[in-house]
Amino acid sequence: NNSYQLSSLPLQLLFYVNGIYYIFYFVATLAMIIYKSQVFSYPDDFLAPDLALLFIMAILEVLRLYLGSMGNLTEEEAPLGLSLVITVGSVILSVYFLVWQTYVLKADVIINAVLLFTYGLESVLKVIAIAAFVS
Amino acid sequence: PPETRSAARARTRSGPAPVTDVAKLCVCDLLVAQCDVNCCCDPDCSAADFSLFTTCSVPIVTGDSHLCSQKAAIYSLDVEANPPERIFKLIDQVNPSVFCIAATNYKQALSFSSPEMPTPENFDQLLEQFRSASFSAEPDSWPMNTDAQSSSDANETFRYEYGVPIQTADAFLRLPSPVVSSWCSDANPAGFLVNQATKCTRSVSVEKCGNIQAASMLFYINSSILAVSTVNITVQSIVVQSLNGMRTSLNGSDVLRLPMILDELCINIVLGVSYHITYTDTGEIIEAAASFVLGAINKEALSIQQSFEISFTQVNTKPVPLSGNPGYVVGLPLRAGFRPQGYPSPVEILFAALVLNTNKYSQLTILQSTSNQDCLAAQGARTPVLFGYNMISGCKLRITAAMKCQPLTQTLLDLLKGQNFPEYVASFGNSQAQDVLDWVPITHLHTSEQRIYNTFQSSCQIPVSLEIEVKWTKYGSLVNPQARIVNVTATITTTTAKQLPSGRERTIPITSSVVFTDISAPAEPGYKAWPTINFKLPFDFFFPFV
Repeated sequence: NNSYQLSSLPLQLLFYVNGIYYIFYFVATLAMIIYKSQVFSYPDDFLAPDLALLFIMAILEVLRLYLGSMGNLTEEEAPLGLSLVITVGSVILSVYFLVWQTYVLKADVIINAVLLFTYGLESVLKVIAIAAFVS
Repeated sequence: PPETRSAARARTRSGPAPVTDVAKLCVCDLLVAQCDVNCCCDPDCSAADFSLFTTCSVPIVTGDSHLCSQKAAIYSLDVEANPPERIFKLIDQVNPSVFCIAATNYKQALSFSSPEMPTPENFDQLLEQFRSASFSAEPDSWPMNTDAQSSSDANETFRYEYGVPIQTADAFLRLPSPVVSSWCSDANPAGFLVNQATKCTRSVSVEKCGNIQAASMLFYINSSILAVSTVNITVQSIVVQSLNGMRTSLNGSDVLRLPMILDELCINIVLGVSYHITYTDTGEIIEAAASFVLGAINKEALSIQQSFEISFTQVNTKPVPLSGNPGYVVGLPLRAGFRPQGYPSPVEILFAALVLNTNKYSQLTILQSTSNQDCLAAQGARTPVLFGYNMISGCKLRITAAMKCQPLTQTLLDLLKGQNFPEYVASFGNSQAQDVLDWVPITHLHTSEQRIYNTFQSSCQIPVSLEIEVKWTKYGSLVNPQARIVNVTATITTTTAKQLPSGRERTIPITSSVVFTDISAPAEPGYKAWPTINFKLPFDFFFPFV
């Protein structure tokens, strides 16, 4: 009976799990880029964009999770909406690491797929929460 | 036709296309149009050939094993069947590792790139990119380096060593010489202490009288030699040669005479230059002088022959031609001298100052054979003894009854030994007259032809042969041994001249010879001493117990 509480519990749980998973994702992707640069021929003008995008993605993720969590807990739709917009950027970056990276290993495919699934689920829950706050 | 030519050019521009289909790749297919043994992927092999194989040398051909899934061609032999046959399977091989490459967006990742073929358009850029020291095409970098070197130790470079080109303000002191043909080339530098004399032809004409640079005096004296202090080339003497060859020496030799036209002749053309460079014993050039021979050409002349000469004189010495420095050089005359009465050291008789190699009197000479072979008509023709060249010469002596013994003996001795038979021979090619110990005395021996001693000693003994034996040894280092004369022996052999009955005459041969014998001791290797182990315990090694 939570008619007076609009914050979404599943969304908050998902934010928490997303945070932990993203730490693992970031470390794993960085380690794999290092592995690829040692084993394969990875010239500098291909390595630099990949690393840059990974760090941008990390910053966006931190921002996104903070705004989303804050918006959910304070029941404000503006930060939540902003978090949704940033999610679009994160999705694009995740697709880059899934498809357009210089070397896409099978492990890359797996972790990016999981991340995309998480983003999708989050986006749905955010829309529901925004709808609940607005009304 | 132009299309096939351009197509052929396009084909040669790129390398052969890479083969990536695993079914068509065969590493063991080495022989063209022939079956390779045990090569199961060879397309030249028939089923009958496969039945003779024992094993497949290449069992599998795959792409890059890093890829998650790749095509593989598997070749194997089925030995159970009769006859054995080859099995070819094309499968998709899966890499089970989680780090296999699922996709790649970098085209050159998995194959070698074909190199760019050079074309006239991209050649310069490729040369820039791949040029290393061996393909460096810039000779301009070399003179810059030597300039840097010479400016850093300016004093040392202007002390010259043997053979080093003499540098002038703009380039080198030129001694024009003929290169492939007899035409003059101005690119021959004069080397320090290298006496040279060259003759070459230059094309001239009266129309270009004032414009031919190499025929004017200015060309040869306007450069100043770079030494510790800059040395200008001075004009020592000018000799003018007329059209018919007569030479007159000019008095005022400091006036520069440039080619000019006079009465349809072009006069003051340089026909010969003789440089005389004076140097010190530390290799500095202190003076340079040039003597010119100027001539004239008329309208018909198309070319002139120019002769150039350069000679080096050490300051404060009289120029004595060396026969080697220090060891004797094969082919150069032996240097000899005598000790005049009252002088403690041998003195060489010196000929006129600057003429080289005609120093007849300071050389050891032997009789020179003449065409008529008559000793008494030989008139003193002698040839110098050259180091390393064994010589023999002779003549025939006709003895008549009227000849007396003593004058005949004296005549023959003069004939064999010459007028000034020296007493000492220089042991090195550059021995100075002041160093007594560098000179080897000539040992004289007398032998008699008759083995049996005549009891009649009063019979006439006339010398019939002079044999000079020069013993020399190799001296100095093993890689550059110098020849050094150790011993010179002059042996006179006499024979008895029996008194002839009147009217009869007799002909006896007179010979003189020079023999060079190498008495070098074999080189001894010098080994360093064996290293010894210097093992001593420190003083307090057993400290607490001693």
